[in-house]
Amino acid sequence: MREPQIAPPKLNVTFAVLGIAFLAIFSWVFFHEEGAEWRSAQSRFRQIEVRVKNPHQLAQAAEVGGLRQIWLPELNRVDRCTTCHLGIDDPAFVNAPAPFTTHPGTWLTTHPPERFGCTTCHDGQGEATDVEHAAHRPTELFDRPMRPLETIEANCGTCHRSLDPPEAPRLAEGRRLIVASGCVSCHDIPGFEGMTFSGPALDSIGNKIRPAWLGGWLHDPKSYLPNSKMADFRLTPNEIASLQAFLLSLRAQLPLDSTGVRWNRANTDAGRALFGELRCVTCHAIEGRGGTMGPELTRIGDKVKRDWLFSFLKDPHRAQPATAMLQYRLTDDQLRDLTAFLLEEYRTGDAGPEPPPAPADPLAIAAGRETFIRRGCASCHHLAGIPDSGHLGPSLAGVADRDPEQLTYGAPGVRRTIENYLFLKLEKPDALVQPSLMPTFHFTPIQAADIALALTGLRKTELPASYVITHDPPPAYTPAGPFGELATRYRCMSCHSVNGSGGTLSTVPFDRIGSQLQRDYIATYLMNPGAVRVSVEARMPVFHMLKDEAQTIATYFDSVFRDAAIDTYDTQFSPADERRGGELYAQFGCAGCHQLNTKGGYVGPDLTDTGRRLKPGWIAAWLASPEKYKPGTLQPDYGLSAADVRALTAYLSGLGRATRTTPVTKPGGPVSR
Amino acid sequence: MKNTHGFGGFVGFVRFGGFGGFVGFVVLAAGCHRAVAPPPSDPMLDAIRAEERTAGLSYAEGQGRQLFGQYCSTCHGDEGKGDGQNASNLNPAPPDFTTSKTMKDAAYVRRVIAEGSAAVGRSPLSPPWGKSLRAQEIEYLVAYCHALASKKS
Ligand code: HEC
Repeated sequence: MREPQIAPPKLNVTFAVLGIAFLAIFSWVFFHEEGAEWRSAQSRFRQIEVRVKNPHQLAQAAEVGGLRQIWLPELNRVDRCTTCHLGIDDPAFVNAPAPFTTHPGTWLTTHPPERFGCTTCHDGQGEATDVEHAAHRPTELFDRPMRPLETIEANCGTCHRSLDPPEAPRLAEGRRLIVASGCVSCHDIPGFEGMTFSGPALDSIGNKIRPAWLGGWLHDPKSYLPNSKMADFRLTPNEIASLQAFLLSLRAQLPLDSTGVRWNRANTDAGRALFGELRCVTCHAIEGRGGTMGPELTRIGDKVKRDWLFSFLKDPHRAQPATAMLQYRLTDDQLRDLTAFLLEEYRTGDAGPEPPPAPADPLAIAAGRETFIRRGCASCHHLAGIPDSGHLGPSLAGVADRDPEQLTYGAPGVRRTIENYLFLKLEKPDALVQPSLMPTFHFTPIQAADIALALTGLRKTELPASYVITHDPPPAYTPAGPFGELATRYRCMSCHSVNGSGGTLSTVPFDRIGSQLQRDYIATYLMNPGAVRVSVEARMPVFHMLKDEAQTIATYFDSVFRDAAIDTYDTQFSPADERRGGELYAQFGCAGCHQLNTKGGYVGPDLTDTGRRLKPGWIAAWLASPEKYKPGTLQPDYGLSAADVRALTAYLSGLGRATRTTPVTKPGGPVSR
Repeated sequence: MKNTHGFGGFVGFVRFGGFGGFVGFVVLAAGCHRAVAPPPSDPMLDAIRAEERTAGLSYAEGQGRQLFGQYCSTCHGDEGKGDGQNASNLNPAPPDFTTSKTMKDAAYVRRVIAEGSAAVGRSPLSPPWGKSLRAQEIEYLVAYCHALASKKS
């Protein structure tokens, strides 16, 4: 038998000290965990639950206790937010205080937490289980604190990559501005690949522009065109002078010959009438009112030379092959009157006689050419003999992942976040880094904020493909056949679209137009387009189209742009259907928005002539599902039964059938200013 | 005397110390004041807030305002006063939201928007949007209508 070993006294003391230390640590951990914020939150939740639910609901309710988490291995996230936010998916907690309130809206239905977690949209530290460490507010401690709701749409953009993300107006506006401002000319931006942006061709600008105007334009384009697409390059007076010399030396193409035009016979009143009739304001604004597809014309008289304008109006495509402007069919006298009216009416003062071309200074021209290349003008204005400047700015891929601490903010006291950096850079590019090649766009604060918001969604993180929602741009449509030539002349595709490709100004795409409109109506309408909806200001121009041309287009539409689903509708209606349709028309209050024999509202089209205008199959298809054909339309979907659709179709296609064909309304008269 | 002197010395000491402490406190407070910098500014957020909260609207109400502008203001007017450009063609006319009693009831408003005014026994002139708009969009509209109705006219 061995003697029991007894530790020497020194070790005894050590054991005692260690034992006490363990006890202390253990009890600290125990009390710390017992007293954790989330435990008291959960017990407060249980107290509230008893108040907001009836006994039956309480019996059904799941037991709340312990840490809760949503684990999303695909997204590399663990969100424990629901440990405290216990009521988010339970409508009983709408009026409960934070953090227990029901999640507002239907977001959890469209974005179930099991799939998206919380931090995918909200940011913040999902793994934390107390208020501070979850980074509910901006903090120095964490890179990605929770987003305030104002900027949350930035995160929509991470998955929703199309140009018009749903229910995210700020993001959509930011992306629209990125496209419209031509950011893609200088930066690679993910999601905007393949997009181009170009300014007008400059190869003959010396024959177009009044020299005095050019200096002012280069100095500050917005002072001439408030919503100019060209940015302000903060050019020095020397750069401006040399660019002026260079640009005015560009005279590749002479204007069309107008020597035979008798300008002393010009009738500006006739020009004014034409200006209204042709519906120029659909695309060009005057004093801020009118369309934005073309440049504002308020001071066109200060800008262009007479012979150039005459020539451009006669054949816009000769000087600017890429222009959206159509070629009207006008006589030389009409062109003369219109030119004289524009130059006379829309100018600031007496522009004076056109000065003879100044003698060219080869040194100044060479300096201007150098400036043109150095400042990246060729990124937007392609010019023969000058290499495309390419992307002068840095790529914006993953810009949101840049370290905010490494960036400059131009002013003290700004919170160092990528949003603030982008915002300040967009507002004043040269305030952060000097010298900066980036031009000033003079964005309003909200525009700069929207663009910054759209850019902050550009993260490097690779998302699983199942989360990414893209919308590839449609393949470009090029009109062909007998229609092609006319569509090019009248630039139909500047406003109308086919299969999503083309312009957006018109609300009538061509895709199924042959199944929608009566052939004869198309032909008469093209000859004399009037307003189908009087409340809409943007109207179809009066082309002065030839009868043959109108017939060609109508026939082409009627045979090519058809939709079998609409064409197969049975159009043999019974008188009972028609009678019932009339009753339904009154019952649904259609007259609230539509005119019928000069009575009713102005929201939708006048229906007086419907039978002569629309094909019955289309009326039925439209009434059954308007949103399908025109997302965002003001025509509500009444959820009509097939029988009700049929009755209304019978009634509407009877309207205007017997009456003589008259245009629905008079074409637009001269614009009143 | 000695005692008194001693006591007086003590009082003097305390007084002096108190004064010194006070001075120290003031200096410290001033120092702290300078040390506590104002919270950093958030210019991007401020720009959005200036835009969205001009009318004191929450995020949801702001979204509702945009939808209202698209779908409703032709009849109801931008501010729900019943003065849209199409209002004069309507009988009954759209009511002024700011004075209407029924507008206080969110469930009722939601019903009118989703199912149309006919669904609550009124004329059919306010159309049903429940099949055209997403549920979330209807909620935004309800929120904005509520904001309009609670506005002091
Ligand atoms: C065609 C015109 C029109 C349009 C478009 C329209 N409304 Fe109305 N609305 C009316 C009319 C008229 C009334 C009054 C109906 C009645 O009293 O019979 C009304 C009533 C209402 C009411 C009830 C008001 C009250 O005081 O009780 C609400 C709420 C309402 N509309 C909301 C909307 C919303 C939201 C939209 C857009 C999504 C909309 N309306 C679009 C015409 C319209």
